[in-house]
Amino acid sequence: MTLLEVRDLHVWFDLSGSRQLHAVQGVSLDVDAGERVGLVGESGCGKSTTILAILGLLPSSASVAGEVRLEGASILSPEEEVARPHRWRDIAMVFQGAMNALNPVKTVEAQIVEPMELHGTAEGAAARKRAGELLEMVGIAPSAGARFPHEFSGGMRQRAALAMALACDPKVLLADEPTTALDVMVQAQILELLERLARDLGLSLILVTHDLPVVAQVCERAAVMYAGEIVEEGAMERLFHSPRHPYTRMLFAATPDLYGDEDVLSIPGSPPRLDRGIVGCPFRSRCDRAFDRCERERPVLRWVEGGGSAACHLNDLPAGASAGST
Amino acid sequence: MRRGDYLIKRVLFALATVFVAITINFFLFRVLPGDAVRSLARVPRATASLRHSLEVQFGLDRPKWEQYLIYLRELLHGNMGISFTNQQPVWDNLREDLANTIPMVTLGTFVAIVIGILTGVFSAWRRGTRMDQVSTNLAIAFYSFPTQWLALVLLIYLSAWFPSHGRTDDFLIDPTWWEHTADVLRHMFLPSLTVALTLYGEYTLIVRSAMLETLGEDYVLTARAKGLSQRRIVVRHAFRNALLPTTTLIALSLGYIVAGVILVETVFSWPGIGNAVYQAVTERDYPMLQGAFLVLTVSVVFFNFLADLLYFRLDPRITE
Amino acid sequence: MGVRADMSDELLDVEGVPAVGESGNWFLRVLRESRQAQIGLAVLLLFVILAFLAPWIEPYDVHTRVGPIYAPPSIHHPFGLDDGGIDMLSLLIQGGRISMIVGFAATLVAMVIGGGIGLVAGYFGGWADGVLMRITDYFIVIPDLPLAIIVAAVWGASLTHLIFVIALLLWTTTARIVRAQVKSVRERVYVKRSRSLGASDLRIIFRHVLPQIGPLLMANTVLTVAVAIFDETALAFLGLGDPTSITWGNIIEFAFLRTAISSGAWWAVIPAGLCVALMIMACFWLGQAIEDALNPRLKVAYVSPRVFRLLPPMTQGPR
Repeated sequence: MTLLEVRDLHVWFDLSGSRQLHAVQGVSLDVDAGERVGLVGESGCGKSTTILAILGLLPSSASVAGEVRLEGASILSPEEEVARPHRWRDIAMVFQGAMNALNPVKTVEAQIVEPMELHGTAEGAAARKRAGELLEMVGIAPSAGARFPHEFSGGMRQRAALAMALACDPKVLLADEPTTALDVMVQAQILELLERLARDLGLSLILVTHDLPVVAQVCERAAVMYAGEIVEEGAMERLFHSPRHPYTRMLFAATPDLYGDEDVLSIPGSPPRLDRGIVGCPFRSRCDRAFDRCERERPVLRWVEGGGSAACHLNDLPAGASAGST
Repeated sequence: MRRGDYLIKRVLFALATVFVAITINFFLFRVLPGDAVRSLARVPRATASLRHSLEVQFGLDRPKWEQYLIYLRELLHGNMGISFTNQQPVWDNLREDLANTIPMVTLGTFVAIVIGILTGVFSAWRRGTRMDQVSTNLAIAFYSFPTQWLALVLLIYLSAWFPSHGRTDDFLIDPTWWEHTADVLRHMFLPSLTVALTLYGEYTLIVRSAMLETLGEDYVLTARAKGLSQRRIVVRHAFRNALLPTTTLIALSLGYIVAGVILVETVFSWPGIGNAVYQAVTERDYPMLQGAFLVLTVSVVFFNFLADLLYFRLDPRITE
Repeated sequence: MGVRADMSDELLDVEGVPAVGESGNWFLRVLRESRQAQIGLAVLLLFVILAFLAPWIEPYDVHTRVGPIYAPPSIHHPFGLDDGGIDMLSLLIQGGRISMIVGFAATLVAMVIGGGIGLVAGYFGGWADGVLMRITDYFIVIPDLPLAIIVAAVWGASLTHLIFVIALLLWTTTARIVRAQVKSVRERVYVKRSRSLGASDLRIIFRHVLPQIGPLLMANTVLTVAVAIFDETALAFLGLGDPTSITWGNIIEFAFLRTAISSGAWWAVIPAGLCVALMIMACFWLGQAIEDALNPRLKVAYVSPRVFRLLPPMTQGPR
């Protein structure tokens, strides 16, 4: 059963001088119950904006089109009251850099209890008890809940953020770069924790990251984003063994930077500007197999062999033919 | 930073500042040449024996550095000399003046803080809207009005409804406690209102700025993701965090309150320490002038110190 | 190419960091993008020009009586007459001139003192820094007006004294800003490089450090002018200005002392204060705009009265 559906999501941001930035260009994504899906791409490709849009957390400079459905019900609306009941209760989020995502003047426990009392899932002593259990689940001593965020290390803060996210027993967890800015050892621990919890609790997970090994470790399926749209989507196995988009292929082949918090993907060139209309394939300037059709026509997502979809003209060529023969 | 260390540092700084002020006082009035420099003993219309005893007390025939030490000693005993104007001890005069100033200023400052916080939070929440612009520019305007001018404007237009001079009505014979208090309050209205209007503008800007800073923090986004309503976020989360820089800045603005007090009390002849300064200047009552300067400086230093303590309490990041 | 006396400078340029601080166009950019800055600058320039042209545009002589005491505004005298029968408009224009001269002069002195102290403290660091900053801290805490009052009372009334007294109150913010900026610029590699090549301290200061701190200093200067003018009115009101000159502050003081209120002569009071307020507001707008432009803490507001816009649905998905 499809738990979360995103249909044809578009997001524009207002820029100075009545221009607009088309940050998300027709993204569609389905997540089933208990499924772990990765959303991969370079910074600026629109992946964070996509998941913020799912919760309706976009600023007033944004214009949105499309649909987001949770268990069939539409939750994308400027009316706060449409999305608000679902926030944290059904869909929770772990942010990049939990350092700042936690309020420095409140104790960790208080911050975990807060959504519980807000949504009425627990109160008072019962809520505090549950907070303690959650902390334990992520590997923090319950008594540490009485401390303030600045007393925790980076890794511990991220764990605390995770405990906080699980406070109301959500069905879907959105994780935006949860391990960026943590050192490698801690990264591995957090990811392992994330995967284990998702599995044990039957959570659906959308994991946003620029870091492929991260996705590979945690997710069964992934969508690759480039310049605001999904260019390929499918099971991790298939993406690795037979990618159907040059970008995906390059991503898997690129040497990841061990210390990277910024992507240092060794793909030459840079993504196209999103404040102008794109003619042809947005990836063509960096693609090693672009041909004349790529200049003229923008590829659309099509089903491919092996499952999933990809947006590349190369997939339309008859098997065995090369680009030059069109 | 360790709590204990921080406290000690602040106390030492406060004491040092007071000491510097005392030295400036001494330096200006004893060491600098000029027609304005008179010795403490030259109290007009004083008896010879009074002058003599003052000369002895303050060692005015001794070398300067000895005078300085004597000056310090006398200060510690609360002896600031005799007022030229009414031949009373300076400290007695100042005590009474302070007692008059404090209620008036406290009322005005309190109102200013409340209005400032309300408008500041509101402006930050509604940032960019027409209301924000109006509110902010109004705050800037009031902040820019010269205090004495604002006092005069209020005097011109409101003196029909409120008394414009002094603290009490001289013609009120044998008032009951209640009548007396009402009388004082009525006289206090215009001066306090002026203080409030002069101050609130700055507070609005401070609060607005602190709130905007806070509202851009990631934990505010987290709060929204949790499903908290905007109002609740503004009040419970953002405001609480914005209190930190706000308290510090408000305390630091206390120096301006002193300036305002002097100007306001002069316009309304409110018999407080500000007015005492004005009278002292006009009548060349140098002991009073020195005394008032010292008292005002000590007050400001004291409030700055209080603000440090308050900040301490509010910010959990300064702990062992 | 041979070794030259200014070779160190050339090396610095080559390193990619321009020897003259930031693109000189930053000011124009601020102006273009901020309505606040435009209005502020316009008003400021207007006042300055009026002050400059004062002797030529005053309708009447400020020492000659042209009508009855406290005559109300009329066609000939749009701002009425004061208690000496002198035209208020002329007084205002003349007053503006002197007030602004005092304001700018005091600011200049404050900049020199504060800048000098900040420069020394920031550049040489260590012991000098400690002592100078300690002194600055004391001056910051000691309340402004009382200090000014006792200095002015002792020193005597004159415009020059007034300028220096006001400067005494203003130098501290400049000192702090300059020190902070100098410190940060000094830390940068290229200045250290320059030192190792033997460029003298003074040369480094003028060629590299000063231009970098320009923008922030300018914002500070503008705001300081505002405070200077404010202080002048306060001191004048308490009788510590120069009673023989005409300033906005004096105008307000005379109105107070010479029963303008009880005579109902609001025109002797209100316009002068409004001029001061306008001038201060203009300085504030301009200074704030520059400061805002320099501090790009452009944080997104996560809470705002309006949320995102939802557009009508479009079709299509993957085929």
